[in-house]
Amino acid sequence: MKKIPIIILAGFIAAGCNKFKSDINTDPNRPSKASGIQLIANSELSLPGLSSSPQGEYHAQYLAETQYPGASLYPDGGTSFYGIYQGPLINLEKVLTTELTPVEGPVANQKAVAKILKAYFFWHITDRWGDVPYTEALQGANNFTPKYDKQEAIYDSIFKLLTEANAMIIAGNISNEIMYAGDINKWKRFGNSVHLLAALRLSEVNAPKATIEFNKALTDGVMTANTDNFTYKHLADATNQSYWYGQVVNQNREWWALTETLVDYMNPINDPRLPIYGKKNNANIYKGLPFGTTVGLPNTTGYSLMGTAIYAQNSPIYLVTYAQVLLAKAEAAKRGWIPGGDAEAKINYDLAIDQSVRQWTGSNTGVATYMTQTGIPYNAGTAMQQIGMQRWVHLFMHGYEAWAEWRRTGYPTNLVTPGGRAIPLRHAYPPNEVFNNGTNYQAAVQSQFGGTDGLYGKVWWDKP
Amino acid sequence: MKQKLLLAWMIFLISVPLIVFGQTREVSGVVKNSKGDPIPSASVQQKGTTKGVIADENGRFTISVTGDAPVLVISSAEFSTIEILVGTSSSYDAVLQEAGNMSEVLVTALGISRKERSLGYSTQQIKGDQLTLTKEQNIIGSLSGKISGVQVTGASGASMGGTQKIKIRGVNSLTGGDQPLIVVDGTPISNANYAGSDKADFGNLAQDINPEDIESVNVLKGPTASALYGIRGQYGVIMITTKKGKKGAKKINVELNSAFSIEIAGNFLPLQNLYGGGSSQVWRTLPNGEKYVDMSVDESWGPRMDGTPVRHVFSFYPQDAEYKKLMPFVPQPTNIEDYYETGSNINNGIVVSGGNENSTFRLSFNDTRIQGVEPNTWLKRNNLGLSAGLDLTKKLNATVNFNYATNSAQRPTQGSEYGARYMVQWFQRNVDMKRMKNYKYADGTFLSWNLNRPSATTGEITNFNPLYWNNPYFEVYENPTNDTRDRFFGNVGVTYQLLTGLKLSGFIRSDLYTQSIEEKSAFGGRRISSYANGKYQNREFNYEFLAQYDKNWKDLSLNANVGGNLYKRNYTEVTGATAGGLISPNFYSLGASVDRPIISSYLLRKEVRSLYAMASLGYKNTYFLDASVRNDNSSALPLDNNSYWYPSVSGSFVFSELTKWKPLSFGKLRLSFAKAGSDLSPYQTSFVYSLGTVYTSTPTIPTLAVPDNLSNPTIQPAFANSYEAGIDLQFFKNRLGIDFTYYVQKNKKQILQLDVSGASGYGSTTINAGLIQNKGIELTLTGTPLKCKNFEWDATFNLARNRNMVVELADGLNTYAYGSTTYSSVTSFLNSYVGKPYGSLIGKAYQRDSATGGILLGTNNMPLYTDATYNFGSVLPDFTGGFQNSFNIFGFELSAMIDYQFGGQFFSRTKMLLAKTGMAPETAATNDKGKNVRDALVDGGGYHIFGISAQTKQPVDAYVDARTYYRTILGTQVYEEWLYDASYIKLREIRLGYTFQKKMLGKLPFSSVTLALIARNPAMIWQKAPKGLDPSELSTGSQSIGWYESGQANTVRSYGINLNVKF
Repeated sequence: MKKIPIIILAGFIAAGCNKFKSDINTDPNRPSKASGIQLIANSELSLPGLSSSPQGEYHAQYLAETQYPGASLYPDGGTSFYGIYQGPLINLEKVLTTELTPVEGPVANQKAVAKILKAYFFWHITDRWGDVPYTEALQGANNFTPKYDKQEAIYDSIFKLLTEANAMIIAGNISNEIMYAGDINKWKRFGNSVHLLAALRLSEVNAPKATIEFNKALTDGVMTANTDNFTYKHLADATNQSYWYGQVVNQNREWWALTETLVDYMNPINDPRLPIYGKKNNANIYKGLPFGTTVGLPNTTGYSLMGTAIYAQNSPIYLVTYAQVLLAKAEAAKRGWIPGGDAEAKINYDLAIDQSVRQWTGSNTGVATYMTQTGIPYNAGTAMQQIGMQRWVHLFMHGYEAWAEWRRTGYPTNLVTPGGRAIPLRHAYPPNEVFNNGTNYQAAVQSQFGGTDGLYGKVWWDKP
Repeated sequence: MKQKLLLAWMIFLISVPLIVFGQTREVSGVVKNSKGDPIPSASVQQKGTTKGVIADENGRFTISVTGDAPVLVISSAEFSTIEILVGTSSSYDAVLQEAGNMSEVLVTALGISRKERSLGYSTQQIKGDQLTLTKEQNIIGSLSGKISGVQVTGASGASMGGTQKIKIRGVNSLTGGDQPLIVVDGTPISNANYAGSDKADFGNLAQDINPEDIESVNVLKGPTASALYGIRGQYGVIMITTKKGKKGAKKINVELNSAFSIEIAGNFLPLQNLYGGGSSQVWRTLPNGEKYVDMSVDESWGPRMDGTPVRHVFSFYPQDAEYKKLMPFVPQPTNIEDYYETGSNINNGIVVSGGNENSTFRLSFNDTRIQGVEPNTWLKRNNLGLSAGLDLTKKLNATVNFNYATNSAQRPTQGSEYGARYMVQWFQRNVDMKRMKNYKYADGTFLSWNLNRPSATTGEITNFNPLYWNNPYFEVYENPTNDTRDRFFGNVGVTYQLLTGLKLSGFIRSDLYTQSIEEKSAFGGRRISSYANGKYQNREFNYEFLAQYDKNWKDLSLNANVGGNLYKRNYTEVTGATAGGLISPNFYSLGASVDRPIISSYLLRKEVRSLYAMASLGYKNTYFLDASVRNDNSSALPLDNNSYWYPSVSGSFVFSELTKWKPLSFGKLRLSFAKAGSDLSPYQTSFVYSLGTVYTSTPTIPTLAVPDNLSNPTIQPAFANSYEAGIDLQFFKNRLGIDFTYYVQKNKKQILQLDVSGASGYGSTTINAGLIQNKGIELTLTGTPLKCKNFEWDATFNLARNRNMVVELADGLNTYAYGSTTYSSVTSFLNSYVGKPYGSLIGKAYQRDSATGGILLGTNNMPLYTDATYNFGSVLPDFTGGFQNSFNIFGFELSAMIDYQFGGQFFSRTKMLLAKTGMAPETAATNDKGKNVRDALVDGGGYHIFGISAQTKQPVDAYVDARTYYRTILGTQVYEEWLYDASYIKLREIRLGYTFQKKMLGKLPFSSVTLALIARNPAMIWQKAPKGLDPSELSTGSQSIGWYESGQANTVRSYGINLNVKF
């Protein structure tokens, strides 16, 4: 008994105070290593978020708010891009900057996929916000206050990334990848399709460059069928379900009806896609809700709510599609960027409608009749408008992309200004950038918009 | 035979008094307090012998002593022990000083007993009976207002074991998470909190301490006092000493303690009672023309409640007796009040204690049962405590302290997202709560007030799934959260008197608990059915060694200590939640998950190895100098750089020893410097990936992700340097005491997850950054302003002022974002800026005319507002403190505890939403034309607005649409409108008691009986914020800094009776 304190004291002296076991501070809960594909797959989980957002649907006026009009009235305030950098982009940066093993497919192909996805995410970001951090971004502790790059330079980087990815792809699929089940040829066609669509975005600001990049993408090989579509497939599983399922089914929200603008365009000409897009109302007709209605909101049963296929738990999210590529080619032919003129434009336009209907409805039933409806057959005099309207209809529920194309082309021309409030031309930057990265934020706002970080500054490619 | 001999001796002693020393003789006397009143039941012993007696209720004692120059040791609880040398007299009166006086011995860091006069820093001690005045169950809560510089913020669920938080000398960490270390009899115990900012408030774990077991609480207010705790001492230490049995003549004491109180919800928000549910005053009608209450709107902007016959929501349920019936549309002014019930709190305890010459023991048991004011909420707790000491030999002593607590509860829900508190934010003034109470029809269908509208063709509702909110009764009866915790903490130790003055001791200390939390969400509610279960297990051990050396020379005294501590913690969590719903109703199991359940596990291991030494040198009992140093090695720090030193030095000067000025009974100056620190949880020094969602296709695709927070391989501990100076004065024989302290604490190299631009790829990074400085004063006045024969008034007044400054942050950063809250896409922040006090509230303000300060109005005459960058200033208070009074009138004791705060502010989302949803009284006020503001502008309605036109800069005097004004502008955008000053003065506790002494109890077998009326939280005396909000209860489980409230629960007031019986 007497010896206990002495033993304890001796124990201290013997222990050697600052020598712990070397693994004592090694986290047993989380892994220190990740495979390239595991990181890529995690980045892919963020893809549906680029489309599944009420804000995007309001900016493209696909959906109107039935209950609490708020976000559809285009309120001021910033929108955060942090999630995209902190989520998928930093994962992809890890893939690009660390040594990989070929266990899950050729290393070159893993890196190529990471480049394509990086280009795709940045394309999405810059179109929504304008200038954003790129060259100094994603460097962690090396730079917590990255400067903003000009949108023009970011587009150059996107083209560069996609060109490099196209060049480095070798034979050999990758495994455990979500979007294309590892089919590297589909990845290649997807990357070049992004290249093609990004090039088209520069039509108003730098047509010569756009033409070159557009043709480069065509040469490298773009999507050739709906099976090439870059589609995120939600699962019938709570952790991998559609955003809209969570809203409409889990939360019992009847907050969204198709807009009057959309229904009034699609319904009179019996668009075969409309029964998928929306439901009939209690009078058994398709009826859209005027966008931006705030006063005397009617019963939801009187309007066409979202179609069941749109909010199904495992509904697919169409991100980049064959029909989009076809419409781009139609427009490029019309513009004379590619040969063939109106004849080539018509071929692509007709096929785009056919493929769009197949994509949405699973068959081409009704297409033939539809092609005879007023305003639908290709007309050289109104081609640009027809292509624009078909694109808008086709991009249903991919609001951000449709909004970008609206800003570029002006179609549709009859979108509503709720309460006189114009449709935004960009997002304001994340509100906490003012605190976290103030100097660079101020510089970016100053150089683009003369100091006002509002919704109505025009991004670089958005020329009247 | 023995008795005869004794008698003979007595005769001898009386007849030959005091002739022969070294013989047994009797001395007698009276034990008194400093006021001359007798102290009953004091222990009187002859030093160095086993002889001992207990004084009677009048303080009288008689003891036989032996030997040359015998010394009597006289002690009593709550008084300091004295020794009396027995001379030639046979009668000695002993005057014991009340604890709190400067001759007192205090338990300081590491359990080292020190004379208070020798301490060079401020400490403030509270006696156990001050903590149990009104049977407050949470030790942290019972400290409120009692110690200067210590601020306690409660949560509204505090009456049900909810969170009580403590801040010592202001905010000392940028994360706001600076909570002191809690030490019970030398054993550090966890004060963790499993609550978030919504759902159930499980409260802080220190509530497992049985308040009835507490002898005293000593608060070490930061590094100057707590430097010996090194890496755990930065934010101060709360040292709790528990009651022990007493050595002496063999005696068993039994004490029973019972309290019963009723709990009543109070402080309801005033609401309007003119307009009912809906978004427009125009009636909605069914196809048959009947008017119906718009059940799809959770607001009260609907038609006037004028008794119009209408279809209420229940009339759409075919199961309902009033199916298809029209009933008048009338207000339910008390619908929210009607939901609350009268709760109860029953507390029973028994204590058995005692000891003999070489052993002590104390055994306590406590049973607490609470029924909450919210329906179907309850809490049960049992505490068992055992402390025992045994002298194995004359030099070797063994002690054990054992505490066991078991809790189980079904608690109310905090915040507004879950549970029933949405009612003060989104509700209809016409909902009849008595109707809602029968929330389930016979066929199992749940009654809800909030559904999608009926069909425009049939007029029927077929979808009875609630829309935004569940019936509040559904929430409490079908979606309960249950938690249990079993906990053991305590220590075993041995002390060995190696040489005279040299004592060695060793202890093994532990804190073990298992916490379970179970959450259910039933079928038929607005959320998908679910079940979640978490188990959290803590195993913490401290192995401690201490050598203490005391030596007195002529004028010099030395107290020296050397020790070491090994801290080991092993903590595990296993949590699971179902995904995609449950397979069948009323079956709650993780195995009942429709989809792959979400499972996680977590293991934490940490070790800290420490060595320390301190020495105190005294000269003439007047000058004292202390120095200490501690070395800590933490396993959570980088392996190659984990050893840090924490020094302190302090001095005191008892100048009253040198002055003969009569009124001054005691005077001391003190000065100190110290450094203490804090480190971090393990595993933050190396990069790891986080587990991502599994894509459950065929094949299953696992994912890993770069985490949002970037780890840091070069992290160091945070340090605090603290400087303190003070003076302690006692006047007029301790009738008046003044204790004044000035301190500066500089907290450097704080460990925090600093928010960075997400464009860097990370949302935050763990870094050492910042310098946050607190300067402040603390003043404690104690006194006995009035004292007559049958009347005495004792008072303690505490005041603290702390001034905080964020001196620096990380390189290139001048903003630290503590938190933000977003609603309807409008965000407000709590930020800290370099050069400003901690915690600036940032949000949207009114745009104002620079010349006149008037509010700028737009072309529609609605107020214009800034973007969310306006700085409204710090949320921290200017002054905090308390005022404690006790009156003794003819044996009746009346005690009242007041605490207060001046300054500080908070944002109330509840007030904002009440305006937004048309429930606030001002949204249905009468304007200066005598019309309701909701009436049409053309009819003279509208809100009368004054301001300055932003365009013309001319004054505007106009009427605007009330719904747009309150709902769209003020209730959504203008945070400035909903900021409130957090100043308050609160009567926290009041007690009126009377003690029946033995002589009054006649033949009853009790030595004393105390009966008291008690009230907890009886009244808010004054507050600057409007009625219905409680600025003293802003804390929620996970919120370190209370800066906004949303769905704050009702104030709970308790009134009861307390009976204490001693045998």
